Amino acid sequence: MATVTNWIDHLSAKEVVGAVYPGAGSSETLLVILGVVFWIGWHVITNKSESEKLARLARKRHGANDHKSNITDW
Amino acid sequence: MTDQLGALTVIFTEFYYWVTVVLMFLIHVGFCMYEVGASRYKHHQHTLMKNTMVIPLVTVTWFFFGWWIYWAFPTGPGIAPSIMTESTALITDDSTFSAKWYLANSEFMAVNLGDHISGVFWAAFLLFSWTAASIVSGAIIERITTFAFGILAIAIGSFFWVIDAAWGWHFDGWMLKILGYHDAYASGVIHAIAGGFALGVLIVLGPRIGKFSSSGEPRNIGPRNPWLVTVGLFLIYTGFWGFYAACNIPIFDLGPEYGMEGVTYWTATNIYVTPTTLSGITYNFLMSLSGGLLAGYVVAKGDPFWTYSSGLAGIICASAGNDLYHPIQAMLIGAIGVVIAYKMHYWVERKFKIDDAVGAVAVHGYAGFAGLIICGFVLNGYPSSGYSVGAMWDGSTYASINPLGQFLGAIIMFGVLGMLPGYVLARILNAFGKLRIPRDVEIAGLDYEMMEDDRDAEKAVASSTR
Repeated sequence: MATVTNWIDHLSAKEVVGAVYPGAGSSETLLVILGVVFWIGWHVITNKSESEKLARLARKRHGANDHKSNITDW
Repeated sequence: MTDQLGALTVIFTEFYYWVTVVLMFLIHVGFCMYEVGASRYKHHQHTLMKNTMVIPLVTVTWFFFGWWIYWAFPTGPGIAPSIMTESTALITDDSTFSAKWYLANSEFMAVNLGDHISGVFWAAFLLFSWTAASIVSGAIIERITTFAFGILAIAIGSFFWVIDAAWGWHFDGWMLKILGYHDAYASGVIHAIAGGFALGVLIVLGPRIGKFSSSGEPRNIGPRNPWLVTVGLFLIYTGFWGFYAACNIPIFDLGPEYGMEGVTYWTATNIYVTPTTLSGITYNFLMSLSGGLLAGYVVAKGDPFWTYSSGLAGIICASAGNDLYHPIQAMLIGAIGVVIAYKMHYWVERKFKIDDAVGAVAVHGYAGFAGLIICGFVLNGYPSSGYSVGAMWDGSTYASINPLGQFLGAIIMFGVLGMLPGYVLARILNAFGKLRIPRDVEIAGLDYEMMEDDRDAEKAVASSTR
């Protein structure tokens, strides 16, 4: 996985290769796919949990000032 | 890098943009404080969290596709040929400024010893993207779902604003060539589009419960914490310094860039690669801020919320031409923009029952729109680019700055790329029942459950210490 194993060899090469992250040149597309799955997955999960939370709260039919009884001293 | 002077220039430029990014972070801090200060107690945490989520959502999408769009779309596509490729197609070839290098899987979108600029330049534009999304966030507080806002934030922050940036802010943008569009510090490119987008969403979203009486008279739901709003706006001013600096290229030799044989001319330039100075725009930043504050104090009769917002509106209105204005021009333009924004806000509120909770459409949208038009008159005849000067509608050369081009540009920014997409996306989200929170939740407060949990926790701790 390591792209660089010896900095002296790397920097003294005739043409220094710029990309030095692990998996350079072979892993980028896979990383993008993983990133997109992570991003879309976040929307799916949070959308579900938000919908449940809003539905639960709406069912309780609190008044406009009910929250004041929840104000804490700390 | 093998020569010291070249290395110093590169490293200086890298550090310069990095500093602007850190400064611009304060814009987002300011927006968060401002929104919490403007919201009611029972919605505080949700308001803060909603705007906080702009940071990751716009950042990852900006990485995946936003930055690529900026470099790919200057030609339209299909509207005016690129000066690099001489084609009207998307710029995805092997040329130096091609979008090809900014695909998410490109080796330049990472630690690369051969590229010191892409990352910091990417980040500078990313912070502009957060700002665009955050402007929308304020207008719609206390009644939008986090899911809907996330989608809208990505749409404005990583798609629509960057289309307009490619068209009207890129040195190769078709709007410069065909219209002579000029918008050095983003009156339209960020502010008018975000204000227009917010207005489009607000039309569909509707007002907060209780904002209008049964006879349609607007009620004031003013900021609940004016001091937090004040500090928030001061932080936005502070971040705006970084924004101005980030819109410049700090050091550039225009001689060879413009093809002038034997001429060397090192200078700072604006985003269009035409000369200006950091010193000069500092005059104009402060004078337009002052013009806005002075006018806001008068027109709002000393109201703190509007006076502080007016400082911002003053800068926004003068920003299109602040690379070239005289400081007193900047001050007067800032003042004019504030009067227009303030009057428009209340006229639209009464006439169309639009509940813009923080005046974002006014401060960013109307002031930005007015600033573009004023710029067309004050800078009429200046070249929109240094590369070539040509006639309007020509397309292969760059038109001069002119009032008609700026007016059309303002329509494109505010209406075509701002208000219209905001309205359509909000309609789609609304059709799926995902746009607005339930009425009972809005009345109870979005933070109700969290506050209830805190109360129970407090009771438990209190009982354990008896």
